[in-house]
Amino acid sequence: MSAAGFQLEGERTPLRELIADLWASRPLIAILARKDFYVRYRRAAFGLTWAVGLPLLQAVIIAVVFSRVVHIHVGTSFAVFVLAGMVGWSYFSTTLATAATSIVDGSTMSTRVYFPRAVLPLVQVVANLYGFAIAVVVLLVLAPLLGVGLGARTLLLLPATVVLVVLTSGVCLVAAALHVYFRDVRYLVTAATLGWFYLTPVFYPRRLASGVLGWVVDINPLTGVVELFRAATGGADPHWAALVTVSLGWSVALVGLAAVLHTRYNRVFSDLL
Amino acid sequence: MTVPTADRASPAASAGGPPIVELTGVGKRYVKYDDAPMLVTAALRLRTRTRRSTLWAVRNVDLSLRRGECFGVIGRNGSGKTTMLGMLAGVTAPTEGRVTVRGRVAPLISVGVGFHPELTGRENVYVNGTVLGLTRRQIDARFDEIVDFAEISRFIDTPVKFYSSGMFVRLGFAVAVQAEPDVLLIDEILAVGDLGFQVKCFERMMAIRDSGATIVVVSHNLNAVRQMCDRTAVLHNGVLRFVGETAEAISVFHDILALQDEPDFAATQSGPGAALPHSPGVARVESAELIGADGQVTRHVRSGERVKLRVTVGVLADVEHPIVGLGVLSEEGTGVYSDASHDLRMPPLRAGTTVTYEIGMVVALLTGTYTAAVSLTDAGRTVLATTAPLAFFVSGRPTAAGVAELEATFGVEQP
Repeated sequence: MSAAGFQLEGERTPLRELIADLWASRPLIAILARKDFYVRYRRAAFGLTWAVGLPLLQAVIIAVVFSRVVHIHVGTSFAVFVLAGMVGWSYFSTTLATAATSIVDGSTMSTRVYFPRAVLPLVQVVANLYGFAIAVVVLLVLAPLLGVGLGARTLLLLPATVVLVVLTSGVCLVAAALHVYFRDVRYLVTAATLGWFYLTPVFYPRRLASGVLGWVVDINPLTGVVELFRAATGGADPHWAALVTVSLGWSVALVGLAAVLHTRYNRVFSDLL
Repeated sequence: MTVPTADRASPAASAGGPPIVELTGVGKRYVKYDDAPMLVTAALRLRTRTRRSTLWAVRNVDLSLRRGECFGVIGRNGSGKTTMLGMLAGVTAPTEGRVTVRGRVAPLISVGVGFHPELTGRENVYVNGTVLGLTRRQIDARFDEIVDFAEISRFIDTPVKFYSSGMFVRLGFAVAVQAEPDVLLIDEILAVGDLGFQVKCFERMMAIRDSGATIVVVSHNLNAVRQMCDRTAVLHNGVLRFVGETAEAISVFHDILALQDEPDFAATQSGPGAALPHSPGVARVESAELIGADGQVTRHVRSGERVKLRVTVGVLADVEHPIVGLGVLSEEGTGVYSDASHDLRMPPLRAGTTVTYEIGMVVALLTGTYTAAVSLTDAGRTVLATTAPLAFFVSGRPTAAGVAELEATFGVEQP
C-alpha cells in the first residue's frame, strides 16, 4: 500500500502502480476473504455443512430429476457428470453475486482508507474458494463411489481451477467497476445468471444444444470451464479443448477490460460512493 | 489569489528535506447525477446523457507540510475540509494539480474500519490492522499494547457486537495509532470515549508527533486546534483563505463567519418562521448584532456567557401586536433553541418609526459555530421581518462534546 507514500496527478492509476499495489495487498485480500468466509458460516446452524451441503443438494436434485424424467446418455455416471458441472458453475455464480456489489458494499472502508478497489471483488473470488475446495473434495469422494475411476486425467482439475478463477476474476472486476456507476448492474447480474445457467452445459451435454442455441453455448465463456472439469472426471465433450480455448480468450479479454476500467477509475470510485 | 502566510511559528521549519506533504494547484471536482445512471438505459440508448451537475469542492490549493509539525484545517461545513483530507489519505484523486505524500499515511478517520460485529475483538484487530497496512507480524508484536490501550483485555475474545460503543471506538483507535504513520490524519476524533480516554488519545497523538510524524487535524473545535496545532489553514468555499499561525487563522475564520456572504445559507436555514407566510413591506431589519458580556459587539462567545442580540427594525406599516422570536441553530442546521414573546405584550409599532429589540440569552452551548436569527411576526403568525442568520463561535470546555452545555459532574459514592 502506501508505505513509501504516493503521488496523485490526475485521476488515472498507472497500470504498473495498480499491479504493484494489488500485489502488496495480498495479506489484505487473504484476511478479508477469511473473515468473509468465517462470518458467512459461523453463525449458521451446522456452520460449514451448508458450504458442502448446498452444491451437493443441488447436484442431487438435478441428477435425480434428470435421470428419472429425461434420460440423457452422458457415457458416465449422470450424478458425477452434473456434480462436475456444478462445481465450477456454483463457484462462478455465487462469487459474481457478491463481487458485483463489493466495491459499493465496501464503501465504509474505501471512503476512508486507500487500497486498490480491485481488492474488494478479488476478496470474493478468494473467499468463495473455500466452498469451492469443499465441493471439489465432495466430487473426488463421490466419483469413485459412483463408479467413476480417478486417474491421471483428474489432474486436469488444476488447470480447470486456474481458468475458472481467472475468468471469474475478470467478470467480477468488470461487474464491480460498472456497478459503482450503473447501480442496476446488481439486478442485471442476477437476471443474467438465471439465464446463463441454462446456456451452460451443466446438466446436459453440449451436443444436445443445436442451431443458434448450440452456437451460444459454444461462445459461452463458462462452457469451456465446465468441460475442462468434466475432462478431469469423465463425460467431457469431444471438442472440449477448443471450448477451453474460447474460455481462455474470454478470460484475457475480460481481465484486459478490467485493467482498463480499474486504471481509469481506481482512485475515483469513492467519489460515487 | 495570494495566500498570506506566516511560517515563523512552526517548530519544524528548520527541518531539512522535501516537505512530507505537498499540494500543488490542487482542485477536486465532483460530478453529481440527478438520477442514478442505469446500464439498461445507457445500453439501449434511451437517454444519451443523464442530467448532472458539477461542483468544485476545492480549487487552487497550494500547501506544503513539514515533518513533525501539527497542522490544523478549519472551515465551515462544506468548505472542502473533508475532500482535502480524502486526497491526503489517497482515497480520492485530484481533478487537477498534484498531491505528493512522502511517507505512510494513517487516517484516524478510519477508526474501526472493517470491524465486523460477528468477529471477536482479537479477530477484528487483525482485520483492521491489515486494512491500515500493518503486517501480521507487526500486529502480533503490538497486540498486547493495543489491548492495553483500549482497556478491553477481558473482552478481547468476545464478538464486538456485544461491545459498548465506547469499547468499539477505543479498540478502533488503539489499532489506528499503532500504524506508526509518517502522517496522521485526524477528523474530529477528539470527541470519542470518556474523558480519561480522550486525554490518553491526546497524549498518544502528541507522542506520535514528537516521534517526528506530521499530524493533520480537521476540526470544528477551535480550542483543540489552538491547543495542538502549530500552523492552521482556513478553507472557505474550497479555497485556502489563510495558511499560518493558528491564532491568526482562527481570527481569519471569525472574520469569515462575520461576513455573512453566503446567500444559500440563509435560504436553507430552518429558523423561526421558516414555514410561515411572509408579509414583506411591513418592517425591515436595519441592523442586527451580537453583544458580549463586556458590552462589545462580538462573534466569539464563551460557553455560559450572557449575551444580547440587538436588532433594529424600521417600521413601514402599523402593527398592533408584534411578536419577537428567537431561533438558534447548530452548524448542521439542527434547531437548538427557539422562543418568542408570546405572553409579553410588546408595544404596537407605528409606521415611519424605528424600534430596537434586545434579546438576552445565556449561551449554554458547547464549542462550535452556531447561528441565531430574530424574527418579527404579527398576531396572525405572519412573518414581517427576519434577520439574516447571525453566525457566532462558542468556546466551550474541550472535553465536552455535543451541543448543549449541561455542566455534567462525575462523582462516585464509595460503599
